[in-house]
Amino acid sequence: MAKTYDYLFKLLLIGDSGVGKTSILFRFSEDAFNISFISTIGIDFKIRTIDLDGKKVKLQIWDTAGQERFRTITTAYYRGSMGIMLVYDVTNEKSFENIKNWIRNIEENASADVEKMILGNKCDLDAKRMVSKERGEQLAVEYQIKFVETSAKDSLNVESAFYTLARDIKAKMEKKQEASNPPSRSGAHPIKASDMQRKPASWLSRCSIL
Amino acid sequence: MHILFALKTLYHNLYLKKVPKIRIMADADIKTTVEETNKDYVEDGKNKLNVKCKFCSSKILDKQSANYITQEKQLPLMQQDNNREEGEIQTESVNEFYHVENMYTFENIGFTHSVDNYKYLSCADCDAGPVGYYDMNTKHSYVALSRVVHS
Repeated sequence: MAKTYDYLFKLLLIGDSGVGKTSILFRFSEDAFNISFISTIGIDFKIRTIDLDGKKVKLQIWDTAGQERFRTITTAYYRGSMGIMLVYDVTNEKSFENIKNWIRNIEENASADVEKMILGNKCDLDAKRMVSKERGEQLAVEYQIKFVETSAKDSLNVESAFYTLARDIKAKMEKKQEASNPPSRSGAHPIKASDMQRKPASWLSRCSIL
Repeated sequence: MHILFALKTLYHNLYLKKVPKIRIMADADIKTTVEETNKDYVEDGKNKLNVKCKFCSSKILDKQSANYITQEKQLPLMQQDNNREEGEIQTESVNEFYHVENMYTFENIGFTHSVDNYKYLSCADCDAGPVGYYDMNTKHSYVALSRVVHS
């Protein structure tokens, strides 16, 4: 059967336990009388189709919840992943500090050119906030990774964050394809690493509708 | 004489043929339902229309991307009764499915963690489900027609 999409990107959600990774992927709320079969078992991954500048892009998004208590994610999980969302909780200092450890874990296990983005989740809980937005931005500048504060609860900035990450992966792939200039569009599979220059984290974002 | 014959026939129909007749009718009904579904939603063995979530209209399958098949399969109910016994899974029998060979054919879909050799399929936007299942041996997916809408 003919392929019906232009790109396929595997994305991972990574971060400490309880930062809301599952809420980013999973929105179901249980009602009082019935228990949803799906919420009992839990979601492993989702496939989403988005349009990026006229290209049909399939995102396969994996939740790593349940694995993070081992403090590392195994190489198997990273295999083939092209983008990683590093998630911390703005009401949990430790989860923010651990972002550095997660970055190290990624450097040791994931492909060298994997695109990354930092998400400061639960920004709706302003009264309980422990990590300022400025500190999140500073960390992002330090690692030259894009950053945005999100609220999975209010669906704030979550979708746009995935679009941003996907757009960056697509741009990187297209650049590589141009560099090796093959006449045919090979699409879904990345060509092996060439060292790319990282863009500075100039992408402005705030936890409010602009 | 005619009345007697008519009564005899009536007796025959009502009592002797009652049970098999009803069963035959039931079979015919199922066939009719399947054929009607075919006509409305299936064209050339594929889904004629887009397949969407019943609850939030999230697009699950693009039109003409999956094959219509009939098979009997027990599928867990979307809502499990709180009063059910512990560990019990309430299911119902489902007969009509869309067969999806490659998971990337889906527009938007969720895959649950594995249960035995299956993953269940859920709406990627509202998480309603199971709308079908994924067989880990064959890597093929099956979407239940009764759990989705067409448009």
